[in-house]
Amino acid sequence: MMNLLRAGAAALAITAAVGAVQAKADTTSVPLVETGSSLLYPLFNLWVPAYTASHPGADITTTSTGSGAGIAQSLKGLVNIGASDAYLSDSMVKAHSNMLSIPLAIASQAINYNLPGITNLKLSGPILAGIYTGKITKWNDPAIAAANPGVTLPDHVIIPIHRLDGSGDTFIFTQYLSDSDASWGSTVKFGTSVSWPAVAGGLGANGNPGMVAAAKANPYSIAYIGVSFADQVAQAGLGQAELLNKAGNYVLPTEATISAAADSFANSTPADERVSMIFAPGAQAYPIVNYEYAIINTHQASGAVAKAVREFLTWAITEGNSMSFLKKVHFMPLPPAVVELSKAQIAKIK
Amino acid sequence: MKLRPFRLAVLGLSLLIPAALCAVVLFLVIYSGQAIFFNGLHFLTQISWNLGDMYSDPVTVRGVQVPSGANYGILVFIVGTLASSAIAILIAVPLAMGAAIFLAEVVSPKIRPILSMLVELIAVVPSVVFGLWGIAVLVPLIGHYLAPNGSGYGLLAASIVLALMITPIIASTLLDALLQVPRENRESAFALGATHFEVVTKAMMPMVRTTLIGGIVLALGRALGETMAVLMVSGGGLNILPTSLFSPISTIASFVAGQLDSAQTDSTNMSVRALSEIALVLFFITLGVNACAKLLSTGALRVRKRA
Repeated sequence: MMNLLRAGAAALAITAAVGAVQAKADTTSVPLVETGSSLLYPLFNLWVPAYTASHPGADITTTSTGSGAGIAQSLKGLVNIGASDAYLSDSMVKAHSNMLSIPLAIASQAINYNLPGITNLKLSGPILAGIYTGKITKWNDPAIAAANPGVTLPDHVIIPIHRLDGSGDTFIFTQYLSDSDASWGSTVKFGTSVSWPAVAGGLGANGNPGMVAAAKANPYSIAYIGVSFADQVAQAGLGQAELLNKAGNYVLPTEATISAAADSFANSTPADERVSMIFAPGAQAYPIVNYEYAIINTHQASGAVAKAVREFLTWAITEGNSMSFLKKVHFMPLPPAVVELSKAQIAKIK
Repeated sequence: MKLRPFRLAVLGLSLLIPAALCAVVLFLVIYSGQAIFFNGLHFLTQISWNLGDMYSDPVTVRGVQVPSGANYGILVFIVGTLASSAIAILIAVPLAMGAAIFLAEVVSPKIRPILSMLVELIAVVPSVVFGLWGIAVLVPLIGHYLAPNGSGYGLLAASIVLALMITPIIASTLLDALLQVPRENRESAFALGATHFEVVTKAMMPMVRTTLIGGIVLALGRALGETMAVLMVSGGGLNILPTSLFSPISTIASFVAGQLDSAQTDSTNMSVRALSEIALVLFFITLGVNACAKLLSTGALRVRKRA
């Protein structure tokens, strides 16, 4: 009897062990590496632990290097997922037809100012273009006064602050200026780094933390800061400008206005999803809203790697798009129609 | 005969360093070749820098593909680098001399090791810490009390941060040299009725002049190439030459660090090549500065021998 029991226990143990080995074999860990956008990095760091917890064997390393590095390293096959605030340019896609730009979430940007005593400033693309080209030099300029009836503006020189490092924030800010101001659109244009016109008193700052610090240290300054830094901006006591949108209304970046902008593009986003959502048409749409992208090479090292990338990205745009993750970095979820487009692109990863 | 393997090994190892240096220079020259061809001498004399519009189709200029509107001129960054390093040296040398002489001559030998260790400790503080201190303390101070337009970012802030970073380098090399001055020299100067000040300036400083210049060269090397701390407090001057101590500047090293990420999204790759050409320029500036200092120090040596 004892022997039988012992044999039974041993058999059980063996089955259990075999089962464990099989379970392990099912989820053989394929290490994935993500690098790029410093704006997406905090979100990836929220996603990865949650994903790993629900998907045993998943192994994803995240690094924050900058959107350009995300694109370049994904292109060279050095990483599996390149994170970028900007989609690939036409010439990039022409040169590398196997590269995809897949939206993962929706971000936006605030225009912040350090104006003692003023908390309700309204600004427009042409005004900002004037400030950043040095045509508008003082806060009480007639153009700013016209947009802010009833606000007593100081007779003080404006200090415009821009990013001196390459940045997705520069990309969407200069896109807003290009779309809303013709002269900016034909001279400075847009990009992750642009040739900033020399403005007396203008400053360059390094990274979003540097932007917050510079705006805080310089009264009468103005800066563009990614909405992920909203908490730090509030702590620094900076004001948030209402921006003129395409429909002619002044709007603040709120969940409602950001979603309004994203929704207005949901059905016009092309299949390759490389599109600017800047200066969206909706009546309540906030004008500086963008997709945050995963830049992916369709040819991954092996079928197993491709499968792991597909699974993670699919999770990111479905369960990962829940507000419990996004709220912490002030991002917004993709509209359902865009999720479907992203899924179709993810299916191309082989 | 027995020594041969040893000699060979040492020879091989000693050749490794110049070989690595040559490889770096060779790589930079080859990699930036197209950019050197495209830019010509305008590269060094122009003040406008534009990576170009990477979201429209590249254009072909003089047979090379470049982003439309691309224009690379680095005069602003050369001036920013030389000016910030020069001012940093001007601030650091008197500070370092004062510190070294104080430690060598005034402080009792018992606590000297502790204090000199503290000086050396400052030399190993990571540059990002200096940058943070610059942003949090120095920039608001300059902005509040000195700058006419209220912005503390710029040439002065960068120079002061650099000066603090290099002072311990100069001070600790100088201190070592001062402690090596033979006791006889000091004591005979005292015996001749020299004051303590005269002993230091007339009997000791001439003996350590070469080391002082060597220390300054080391420090200058660090200042010219410093990236992170400068990036954080320089104000990122672009397309305009600095006109005052409070003008925003960019240095070569900090500018390359700031632009590299965007340059990588250039499908023609010309942006990265232009940045590598900048690195080449920085290399030659550092080389030139070192060569000048070497000449100066051998000159000083000769003067001393004659005397």
